[in-house]
Amino acid sequence: MTRPLALPLLALVLTVGAARAADEPAVALSVAEGGFSPSEIEAPSRSRVRIEVTNRTAVAIEFESFELNRERVVQPGQTVSVWVSGLEPGRYEFFDDFHRERRGTLVVR
Amino acid sequence: MLETLLITWRESLEAALIVGILLTYLARSGQRTGVPYVWGGTAAAVLAALGCAAASNGIIARLDPDLQELVQTGVLLLAVGVLTWMVLWMHRHARAIRGDLQRRADAALARGRLIGLATIAFAAVFREGVETVLFLWGVVVQRAGAAALPLAVAGLAGAALAIATAWLFFRGFGFLDLQTFFRVTGVLLLLVAAGLLASAINKLIGLGYVSPLVPQVWNSGWLVRDDSLLGRLLGALVGYRSRPSLLELLAYCAYFPPVVWLLRRAQAVPAGRAPRHSAA
Repeated sequence: MTRPLALPLLALVLTVGAARAADEPAVALSVAEGGFSPSEIEAPSRSRVRIEVTNRTAVAIEFESFELNRERVVQPGQTVSVWVSGLEPGRYEFFDDFHRERRGTLVVR
Repeated sequence: MLETLLITWRESLEAALIVGILLTYLARSGQRTGVPYVWGGTAAAVLAALGCAAASNGIIARLDPDLQELVQTGVLLLAVGVLTWMVLWMHRHARAIRGDLQRRADAALARGRLIGLATIAFAAVFREGVETVLFLWGVVVQRAGAAALPLAVAGLAGAALAIATAWLFFRGFGFLDLQTFFRVTGVLLLLVAAGLLASAINKLIGLGYVSPLVPQVWNSGWLVRDDSLLGRLLGALVGYRSRPSLLELLAYCAYFPPVVWLLRRAQAVPAGRAPRHSAA
């Protein structure tokens, strides 16, 4: 039973160590009634990036992206960090799943 | 309004499917004593989700958002644990049933199993329930007064629609004979559990605790979009994501060998230990 688990556990242990350094660069993103601001954010390719999402509206929002494989509810007034890493250059769409008209793009260079 | 309905339908679908599997299984295996526990777990989760939303401007707002996400991850892992345990128990039970259900009174379920059933229902419903309630809460707050009412109704209709979808889905299994039905349900529940495990890992990646190793192993979005009906069904049932990371895939795959090993071991129990009901 232990053997099939060994590989992923090892991977987990190896990767946990590298995670969550406080001084990583952050990309700020805020959500107001009018939508995401800025609507286009940038990040370097193949690196760890922390997207700091602040909800400036009066109700909960959900930062979501199929292309980034992320979803995260943000309560009113809260700021949450959403981590992405190792992305290839390209354009990655995201949206507010609770208010689909709010959309934005992460441009990875 | 249609969007409100679609969002709650989508958010409730996974919970409805899991609760649906439990109820269908209990009905077909003649263990109806478990049914109130499934509904009890569901009701407790709805209340807990409402409580979280009500507290979202007070206590919850002051909680670290990452901590909230970790709680959600914990709920997911709990669900994986109880689902696995339930499949093992179903597996042993299936050998004891052997078809003559009509002549049997409903089997009494052990207390631990009843609590297990309630726990699965709770974990499944709470997970999606918090999001659904927060979303609906937002809809109502944004349009105070009478304008909010039709939207709140649309939201509830979406949840009802999710239950109907799950019901239709399981009606589709009606033609299967019992043995096949148990086998199919067992396999489905294991796939659900593996999918939930991958979701838990996805949350840990998003929180920055672990690296995805490779952020996108493939992209099948052109074939099945995540937000299509098929994508949602597959997402709830087998943990489908159009762009999975390597760590999620590893976790998904690593779930099966130990579980299959446990199932094999359960099967190796001497036949004398399984109660026979032919004389009941």
